[in-house]
Amino acid sequence: MQKKWTGFFSVLMLFIFIVPVYAAAPLQVVETNVNKVLDVLRDPKLKAPAAKEAKTQRLRVIYKGMFNEVEFSRRTLGRNWNQLTPAQRAEFIELFEQVLEKAYLDKILSYTNEKIEYTREIVHSDKQAEVQTRVVTSSQEIPIFYRLVFAEGNWRVYDVVVENVSLVQNYRTQFNDILAKNNPEHLLQILRKRVKEQ
Amino acid sequence: MNISGRLYLVKYLAVAAMLAIFFIAQSAHASPPASSAAPAAEPSGLKSVLASSGAAKAEAAKKSVVDEDYVEDDEYYDDEAAEKAKIADPIEPFNRAMYHFNDKLYFWVLKPAAQGYKFVVPEAGRVSVRNLFSNLRTPTRFVSCLLQADFSGAATEAGRFAINTIWGIGGLLDPSSGQELNLKKQDTDLGQTLGFYGVGHGFYIVWPIFGPSSPRDSADIVGDYFLYPVSYLDPFYVPWCVRAYEEVNSTSLRIGDYESLKDAAIDPYIAIRDAYAQYRANKVKQRKIKFESFWSGQSKSENVEK
Repeated sequence: MQKKWTGFFSVLMLFIFIVPVYAAAPLQVVETNVNKVLDVLRDPKLKAPAAKEAKTQRLRVIYKGMFNEVEFSRRTLGRNWNQLTPAQRAEFIELFEQVLEKAYLDKILSYTNEKIEYTREIVHSDKQAEVQTRVVTSSQEIPIFYRLVFAEGNWRVYDVVVENVSLVQNYRTQFNDILAKNNPEHLLQILRKRVKEQ
Repeated sequence: MNISGRLYLVKYLAVAAMLAIFFIAQSAHASPPASSAAPAAEPSGLKSVLASSGAAKAEAAKKSVVDEDYVEDDEYYDDEAAEKAKIADPIEPFNRAMYHFNDKLYFWVLKPAAQGYKFVVPEAGRVSVRNLFSNLRTPTRFVSCLLQADFSGAATEAGRFAINTIWGIGGLLDPSSGQELNLKKQDTDLGQTLGFYGVGHGFYIVWPIFGPSSPRDSADIVGDYFLYPVSYLDPFYVPWCVRAYEEVNSTSLRIGDYESLKDAAIDPYIAIRDAYAQYRANKVKQRKIKFESFWSGQSKSENVEK
């Protein structure tokens, strides 16, 4: 009788230690984050123009959770990444993020009622995946693909492909062009100036 | 409690402990993504959010990851595509001059015209006009599909033309794209056809008015001239007026796209050149995928189209 009970309890104890072992699938990661962004954009409390700063703050928090900024920057610089010292890299990540925020914030804030369709998820390997979505507006359909990398237990976005044009690749071409003739410090200077003037 | 009972207890406990350690180790390795899966924390203040979400954690992790080098043989699947989407630019000074010319043309002429037009004509009307012009361009797409041995695409285009012309009031509406018929426009042209057969871009040319192009895609401009019925209108200036109107109409539906692309760029000229190269390379790739999936007997994938 006792044997039975000890067996029963120890099996029960096993369940106590079972913590859900999972990392959300790439599609889920994109979908939950995009929905969070849409929630912020559609929030009636944040409709007033004065609430723009509050909105921006919230979007920034979502962005941090959704994007792998380091991978984003590293992929953008490509082999030039290795020319930068760790301090320069950290600064580059910071500046590049601000440049992107300035460039795309208004575009994102202007979105309201577009429908988003999640067309498919392609897992290329245990480290890379692509989630394909489509933004349907009243006059057109825009395909937007998110490329994700698995690191530190999370799938996070490292590239966004809009209408077949990869953001990372587009910036890489531009940075390559600058770094072919100048040193990394010059690139940082361009970015610093850029952040300041906007 | 007798001896054997105690032994069992010890044994079970040992197994339980081992399993527990195993699971804890696992879950530490792949911890549930607090920042992405958990419902959004209602931010009472930014500080609390930063502390509670993964942002703070990511911040700490970032410091160490920054030190990692970029490894060439990391085998990113998109690197190969990146190599393919490059375009040579031997006549850059000329192209840059033309880029500035087109840029001024856009901001001084095209955009004001499109804005005025947008103010007068509602969006639904402008979409209809776009459909009409798109219907008139059926021959280009039909011939391109045939040249690429894409018979299903050619049939789709022929069917679309018949249906949209008759039931869509001469092409003003696009009933073929509806859910019932689901005949989607075949997004192809003669430049893609050449690309499909392995013809490369050659190099980058920015034509005044026509914009980014290459010797290969210039063949498309010429071919399109002959296949576009509007070109045969009399007298000679009518086709150009129609084309100008077409351009104003389509621009009115995407005011702001060019501006945001330009504003986001560090060097707008390079950004547009790269976007052009990537865009065209992917279009050609999609046509190849479609060809292969069609002839290998697979059902055509909707996603390939897009």
